[in-house]
Amino acid sequence: MQIFLDRLFDGISNGAIYAALALALVMVYRATGTINFAQGEMALFTTYLAWGLTTKHIPVAVCLLAATAAGFVLGAASERFLVRPIEKRSLLATLIVLLGLFSVLNASDGLIWGKGNQSMASLFPNKLSSYVSVFGARLYWANIGVWLLVAAVVAGMFAVFNGTRLGLHMRATANNRESAALTGIPVGRILMLGWGISAAIGAIAGVLFTPLTPDSLGLGEMFPLLIYASAAALFGGLDSPGGAVIAGLIIGIIEVMLPAYVPVIGGQLQEAIAFAAIVLVLLLRPQGLFGTREVERV
Amino acid sequence: MTSTLPVLIRERSAAHRGLQIGGIAVLTGLAVYASTLNQFRLGQLTIALLYATAIAGLNLATGYTGQLSIGHSAFFGLGAYTTGILVASHNWNPLLTLIPAAVLCFAVGLVVGLPSLRIRGINLALVTLALGVAFPELIDRFPGLTGGQIGLNISIFQLLPPHWTGISIADRGVYYYWLAAFLLGIVLVLCATLTRSRAGLAMKATRDREVAAAAMGVNLAWTKMAVFGLSGAITGLAGCIFAIYLGSLSADASFTLTLSIVLITGLVIGGVATTLGPVIGGLAVYFVPYWTQNIRQGEASELIFGVILIALMFVMPEGLVGLITRLSRRILRIDPQPPDRPDRPARPARPARPARPTRPGSRPDDIDAAHADEGAKPDSRKTRLSSPDPGTAG
Repeated sequence: MQIFLDRLFDGISNGAIYAALALALVMVYRATGTINFAQGEMALFTTYLAWGLTTKHIPVAVCLLAATAAGFVLGAASERFLVRPIEKRSLLATLIVLLGLFSVLNASDGLIWGKGNQSMASLFPNKLSSYVSVFGARLYWANIGVWLLVAAVVAGMFAVFNGTRLGLHMRATANNRESAALTGIPVGRILMLGWGISAAIGAIAGVLFTPLTPDSLGLGEMFPLLIYASAAALFGGLDSPGGAVIAGLIIGIIEVMLPAYVPVIGGQLQEAIAFAAIVLVLLLRPQGLFGTREVERV
Repeated sequence: MTSTLPVLIRERSAAHRGLQIGGIAVLTGLAVYASTLNQFRLGQLTIALLYATAIAGLNLATGYTGQLSIGHSAFFGLGAYTTGILVASHNWNPLLTLIPAAVLCFAVGLVVGLPSLRIRGINLALVTLALGVAFPELIDRFPGLTGGQIGLNISIFQLLPPHWTGISIADRGVYYYWLAAFLLGIVLVLCATLTRSRAGLAMKATRDREVAAAAMGVNLAWTKMAVFGLSGAITGLAGCIFAIYLGSLSADASFTLTLSIVLITGLVIGGVATTLGPVIGGLAVYFVPYWTQNIRQGEASELIFGVILIALMFVMPEGLVGLITRLSRRILRIDPQPPDRPDRPARPARPARPARPTRPGSRPDDIDAAHADEGAKPDSRKTRLSSPDPGTAG
């Protein structure tokens, strides 16, 4: 029971991060109809920025805010100057531009902040002794902090989506760009905003995730996260924010539990099994668990 | 004022045949010249040609049929490991292993193509991503068969050139180079023939508008699965020669998602849905990073690569071959002829300057243009992988 709970807590923490990144991917998908391959690298860039600030003895909370703001600008600028001019051409061209952005951001991280791995200060107390005991299992404050903050971000997003005029504009734009434009919605600004918010969420996820493991801030940190997050987004349905969050949590927990309780999988096959399961789900429900069924007009 | 440009040449006329033969002769000459380079350059060129072959395979699925694959590194690796295991553990003749490798990759391609019947566009790309992610993990999971993380080594003596080639051990790089060059040549001819055939039309129709293609009698299921199988088999064959050339395999080093991204990048740089695009793309993705490594001790290499990639998409989204084709059409134009009715009288030559200038996006004004070389038809270069219309996408 104790070990199970330990694993469950770890799984939920990872899952919360996957959920946040998956939510970011879904926002971009709803805006532009593509997977943002550079999402992870945007998050990594802003995380490095936050880390760079923490080394100058600035409080972590301020660094988080700065990273979030930088993420917003980075995302909005990417949409306006890289994606929008190219997206009309083809999906493939958009993907290639995003791969290029991936390369540029990753290389810039290395050039600006060096290639070695770094440890990052946490927003929450993360000493070995700062935990509460739940049935003998250790629930660290850092984990609780991650859960609460991600939950707050997700709740905030849903409040914006469903309760504000801005959210209405975003949903309208995602639903049908031309009609939205005809009703007077500033579609271009909404798209920029969508990308900006999405990169800001990624920045928060990066700043929260990195301190969970020492020495984890490195050039290759975000790519596996992006893979899991895209799996979550796909699993939940690419156009469903709620689906992305639920699927992110499920994948985070499965990823920890499967290797532990199914010995055949061992430590090596977790990604493969996670993906195999998702492919099976997609075969039965191509639109994902909560996605909207694609209807093609002829 | 009458301009003499562009020069019009009728398809399948003597002049057209002459141009084709001349082009092939130039390419062959280049290949022969390259084989005299030093061993180091030859080795680099071998890998670049193998990338080109793998990209040509990818081109069938992604370029011509519109199924974006981020998992082709797995086919490359599967071919390489099939050769590696059969030679190292079962003492096969390396060249004979190409047959089971192609069959195996074809079969896996069919299975991966299966979801494409229900899953489309970006979702399908993520399914192939699963394949690409899973492959290195599977290799590591079965170390008894594959050598796992340590890797798989083939003895150099099992990979020497056969006696009849007369190539000495010291010059064996030449042998590997010609293996790669021959494979690429065969694959290019195969792809060119296939994409100009009825099956090729079915592929392009499937890519451009699935529903319309089905209405015209294209068997979508079979087209997609068979193309994915063939595409995987070709990429797998490139992997076989890669194993023969390298002699030691490690899935974590050679066959990760990075390779898939390299292949897609090469395809786009060279030119999607063009015959020679994969060759240019293969050379570019190998040599551009190699050259930029010398700038600032390689630190900026990735940065430059990324910037080049983005700039290319803005400046020439149709790729290098597409750009060259577009420019050369100002000088020389091939007038398409219907392929099935040779007895039909030749059509009168069109005026030198057509009433409607062909620019990207304009419709071919003649149904016969559908049979034309894809380079001559701007529309076919559009590679919509999913609907741009948010109304249907989301």
